[in-house]
Amino acid sequence: MYEMQKIEKKFPGVHALKAVDFQVKRGEIVGLVGENGAGKSTLMKVIYGAYAPDSGKILKDGKEVRFGSPIKALEAGIGMVFQEQSLILNLSVMENIFLGNEAQFRRAGLINWKAMADAARKQLKKVKLDIDPSRKTSSLSFAQRQLVELAKVLTLEERVQGDLVILLDEPTSVLAKEEVELLFGIIRDLTKRASFIFVSHRMDEVLAISDRIYVMKDGAVVDVVAKGKATIEDIQHKMVGRAVNKEYYRERRQKPYDESRVLVELDGVSLPGRVRDISFKLHAGEVLCLVGAEGSGREGIVRAIYGMITPTVGSLKIKGKPLQQTTPRFAAEAGVGYIPRERKVEGIVSGMNVFENMTLSQQQRFSKGGVLKIAAEKALARDWIKKLAIKASSENADCGNLSGGNQQKVVLSKWRSGGSDIMLLDHPTRGLDIGAKEDVYEMVRDMSDDGAAILLVADTFEEAIGLAHTIIVVKDGKMQKRFDYKPGAKPEPYDLLHHMV
Amino acid sequence: MQNVLTRDNLLKWAPLLVLLALVLFFSVINPNFLSLRNFARLSISASPALMVAVGVTFIIIMGSIDLSMEGAVSALAVIFCYLLVWLGGSVAGLGCIAIPAILLLGAIVGAINGYIHVKLRIPSFMSSLAMGFVGTGAAVLMTGGNIVKIDDEVFRSLLTYRLLGFPLMAYVAFAFLLLGWVIQSYTRLGRNFYAVGGGEDLAHASGVHVKRVRVLGFALAGFFFSVAGLLQVAKLGQAESVTGANLMFISITSVVVGGVALWGGIGGVWNALVGVLIVAVINNGMIVIGIPDFIQDGLLGLLVIVAVVLSTDRRSVAFVK
Amino acid sequence: MNIERIKPHLPWITLAILVVIVSLIDPNFLNPKSMLSLAADIVPLFIMALGITFAIYIGGIDLSAQSMANMVTVVATVLLASMGAWVAVFCVLLGALLGAFSGFVTTRFFVPSFISTLAVGGVAFSVAQWLSGQRSVSMDAAQRDALFGWMIGRTAGIPHELVIAAVLLFICWFIERRTVIGRNLKAIGAGELAAVASGVSVSKYKIAAFALSGGLAAFAGLLFAVKLSGGAPSVANGFLLPAIVAVLVGGTPLTGGVGGVVNTMIGTLIVAVIRASMLYLDVNATQQQMFFGLILIAAIALTIDRSKLRIVK
Repeated sequence: MYEMQKIEKKFPGVHALKAVDFQVKRGEIVGLVGENGAGKSTLMKVIYGAYAPDSGKILKDGKEVRFGSPIKALEAGIGMVFQEQSLILNLSVMENIFLGNEAQFRRAGLINWKAMADAARKQLKKVKLDIDPSRKTSSLSFAQRQLVELAKVLTLEERVQGDLVILLDEPTSVLAKEEVELLFGIIRDLTKRASFIFVSHRMDEVLAISDRIYVMKDGAVVDVVAKGKATIEDIQHKMVGRAVNKEYYRERRQKPYDESRVLVELDGVSLPGRVRDISFKLHAGEVLCLVGAEGSGREGIVRAIYGMITPTVGSLKIKGKPLQQTTPRFAAEAGVGYIPRERKVEGIVSGMNVFENMTLSQQQRFSKGGVLKIAAEKALARDWIKKLAIKASSENADCGNLSGGNQQKVVLSKWRSGGSDIMLLDHPTRGLDIGAKEDVYEMVRDMSDDGAAILLVADTFEEAIGLAHTIIVVKDGKMQKRFDYKPGAKPEPYDLLHHMV
Repeated sequence: MQNVLTRDNLLKWAPLLVLLALVLFFSVINPNFLSLRNFARLSISASPALMVAVGVTFIIIMGSIDLSMEGAVSALAVIFCYLLVWLGGSVAGLGCIAIPAILLLGAIVGAINGYIHVKLRIPSFMSSLAMGFVGTGAAVLMTGGNIVKIDDEVFRSLLTYRLLGFPLMAYVAFAFLLLGWVIQSYTRLGRNFYAVGGGEDLAHASGVHVKRVRVLGFALAGFFFSVAGLLQVAKLGQAESVTGANLMFISITSVVVGGVALWGGIGGVWNALVGVLIVAVINNGMIVIGIPDFIQDGLLGLLVIVAVVLSTDRRSVAFVK
Repeated sequence: MNIERIKPHLPWITLAILVVIVSLIDPNFLNPKSMLSLAADIVPLFIMALGITFAIYIGGIDLSAQSMANMVTVVATVLLASMGAWVAVFCVLLGALLGAFSGFVTTRFFVPSFISTLAVGGVAFSVAQWLSGQRSVSMDAAQRDALFGWMIGRTAGIPHELVIAAVLLFICWFIERRTVIGRNLKAIGAGELAAVASGVSVSKYKIAAFALSGGLAAFAGLLFAVKLSGGAPSVANGFLLPAIVAVLVGGTPLTGGVGGVVNTMIGTLIVAVIRASMLYLDVNATQQQMFFGLILIAAIALTIDRSKLRIVK
C-alpha cells in the first residue's frame, strides 16, 4: 500500500539514508526504531514530505508519488502526529481539527459553527474523545491534545482518496501509563481506517503495538522484525551492535582521576520540571557522562551547574561553595565553562571575530576600568589558534565563516584560555566530521591531563563509553544507574540502553 | 492547569473591571460625569479612535503591528475632502460615491502596506511606521499645509443629528464594530488571524496561506482606518495633514489596555472597545474633574506597560528586543 | 562581484554618488562655507541618531528619542534660571534615566522595546506639556549666551556644533570599539543567546544601551533648545524619522550586531545631502517625510539580516 524503494538522502558530510526499503501494508502498525542519529528522523521527514529524497522511488497505492511539501503529502493521505504538538492553543478544538479546511463550513462567506461542531464531534468520536468541540485547546490535558491531533489527521479519511498512513512520532513521551494504554487501544481500533508508523524510544511500547519493526542504524535498515519474533534485548543489540574502536576515543590516554579533588558536588538536586534528586561528585581529571533519552533531563542538569536554572531543592556546590547568584556570570567566574549543543546559536557569536569570541567570557581580565586591552586579546587569540591548530586566516576572521570543527575549537579555547577547569560539554561533536570529532576527543584528554573536570552529554553511546570514567544513566529526570569504567574494561552500549528504556 | 485558567480569566475581565472602576471613580468625584450629555461628548471623541483600534486589533491578533494609522487617516481624510468637493460637495448628490471610494482606497493602501511587510520581509512595526510617514507626507503634499474644509450638512449630520442623545457617528462606529466582530468570529479570514497569531508555523503546516492572511489583515486594517478618516472629517468638518495625529498612541494604547495580547492570538474587537472606552473615560474624566489633561499621555504610557506585562506569558518568550 | 562583500561599503559609495550628483546639478553645493553650515544644522539630528544607534545596535529600537528631546527643550528652558549650567548635566542624566527605564521594562518584563520606548515617550511628552503649560517657553537671552553661548559660536569659521558632534562621535566610537560595554553590546546584537551562554549580564548591557540612547537624545534636545533659545513640547517633531533613517542607511541594520556610530555619521551626511538637494528642488521639510518614509523601507529591506528573524512579524 505504501512502499519506499532504495531511498537515498545525503547532506553535506552525512549520508543520512542509505538505500532504504520500507513498506507498510493496509491496516498495519509498523514500528521504527534506532539510536539518535541512525536516520530515523530523516526517514520520517521523507515520509511526510518535508524532505525530498535524492534518489529512489516512493509508491502509494501502487502509483509513484513525489511530495514537495508536507501539504502535498497530506493530500496523498499521509498524515503526521508530531512529538511537539502542533495544535494552536488559542483556538478551539474544532478549529484546530479543521484548520486550513474551513471552506466546507462556509455559508455566504460566514462560518457555520454548528455544522463545524457537529463534524468535529464526528471526528472526535473516532478517537473516543468526548469533549465539547468549542473548548479552547489550551484547557485540554496532554493526552486529550494528542487525541485531538489524531482526530485532526483522521479528517483525511473524508478528504482524500485511497488509504491513510499516519506517522506517530514519540506519541507517548508526555503520557502517563494508563493514557498510553488508552491511546494504544484507540490506535489498534483505528487500523481499520488507517495504517500507522510508530516511532518511539520506548522499546517495550514499540514491541507491544507493532506488527513489524524496522530497525535502523547508520542510515540503513539493518533488520525487519516481525511481531513476537524478537525480544527487547534482540532489537537493542541490532540497534547498537558495533564494535567500539578504542583508539578513536583516545582510550589509551585515559588516566585515573584525582579522587581527593571534588570540583562539583550535587546533593539531592531537583529542578523545575521533572528532574528529581540528582546527586553526584565530579572530580578533577574525571570525565563524567550523562546518558539518557532526549528529554530525560540531562540538559537540565548541565544548565543548572552553569547557573541557568535554579535548583528547587538540594545543594549544588562548585569547588565546595554554592554559587553567590545562580547566573551564568557567577558560574563562569567560579571556573565553569559551557559548550552548548547549539554551537551556532549559543556557542559562537557569528559576526564577531575570533579574538572577540575568545574573550567574551573573560572581559574582566582583558580590560582596565572598562577599557579593553585589545592587543592582549589578539595575542591570546594568536596563541590559542596555534595551540589548537584552529584553521582561521587570522584572529580577525569572522567566526561565522569558520567550519564547525574550528568553531568548536574557538568555543573550547574561550573557556580554557580563561582558566575554566569545570567543562560542561553538551553534544560537543554534533554535526562535526570525523577528523574534527577526533580533534575534540584529543582535547578532552588534554583537558583531563590538565586536571579539568568534564561533564559530558555525548552524541552516541560509543562516544560516552569511549570517553568516560563514569557514566550516569538518567531516565525521566531520575538517576537510574551509575557505571564506573576503566580503560580496557568498558562495557557494551547494550548495557546502557538496557537501563535507559 | 488551574493557574492558566485564573490567568486567562484575569486577562479577560480585568479591562472591563478597570473601566467600571474608572467610571465609578469619576462619577463619585463629579456627578456630572454620568450625564447623557457627557457620554455623548465621550462617544464623539471615541468613535474615530475606536475604528482605528478595531483595525489594528486584527493586526495585533496576528502578532504583528500596524503603526501607519496616523499617516493613513490623514491622507485618506484629505483625499475624501477633495473628492467630495470635486464631486459637487455633498454626499446627498454625486458625492456619495466618495464614501465607498475612500473605503476601497483605504483597503488598497492597507494591502500595499501589508504587501511591503510580507514581500520585503521586514518587521511590520517598521514597514508600517515608514508607510505612516509616507501617508503624512502625502497629505502635506496634497494640501500644501493648508486645511481642506467641507461644507456638507448631510455628511455633517453624522455629528449633528442626534438619536436618543447620541450623534449618528456613534451608531455608525458601533455598526462597523459589529462588522468587525462578524469578521473576527464568523469568517475564515478572521479565524485565520487567530491561527497565525497562535502559531504561524503550525498554521502554515495546516495549509493556511499565512502571507495572504497577513496582506488581507493589513487591507482590513486600512479599511477601518478609512472609516476613522471619514468620522474625523465628520467630526471636524475639515481635513489636514494632522487629522490623524496622536491616533497611533491612543489606538495602540487602547487595544493593549483592552486586553489584546501583543504576542498575538488573544483578544478581539470587544477588547478594543473596552480599551478605547478606558482611554476616552480617562481623558474625559480628567477634564470633568479638573485635572490638566496632559498627564494622560504619561499615565497611558505606564498603563500600556502594565497591560503588556500582565498579558505576556514569560515562560514562552526566549528573549525580547 | 559578491553583494555581501560590497554591502559594508555601500553607505560610503551612496554618499559619494549623492555628493557628485548634487554638485553637478548645483556647483555651489561644494562651497566650503555652505557645506559647513549645512553640516552644523544637522548636528542635533546627528546626536539623536548617535543615541538611537546604540538601541538598534543591540537589535532594539528607541522610539522615545523625539519626545525625549522635546521634553529636554522645555526642561532646560524652564530650569535654566534656577539651575544655571548644571541644567545641562541634569537634562542628560534625566534622559539617560528615562532611557534606562525603557531598557529595564524591556529586559525585566519582556516588553518589546518599540512599545516600552513608545510608552516612555508618552511619559516624556506629558512632562513637557506639564512644565511648559502647553506653550512655547523661551530662555533668558543673556543667561543663555553666558552659559551655553559657546555651543553655537564659531572659531576660525568652524561652527562649534561640529566640534561638539566630533567629540561626541569620538566618545561613542570609543565606547563602541574600545570598552567592555561596546563589546558586549555587539555580542548582544550579533548573538544574544551566545552572549548569555558566555556569562555576559545581558540585561545590564541592554539597559546601558537604552540609557545611552536616552542621554544622547537629551543632549540633542539641549543643543536644540540653545539654538532656538527656548523650547516647546513639539519643537523637535519630525526628528525621529530622519534619525532612524540615518542609522539605517548608514548600515546598522534593524537586526543589530553590525554597523555602529561611524556608520551613523555617514548615514546622517546622506540624510543631510538629500535634504539639501530637496531644498534646491523646492520640496519643503514636511513633504520630505514622504520621501524619507520610502527611503526607510528601502534601507531596512537592504540591510536587515533575515537569518536572524525566524518569523517576520
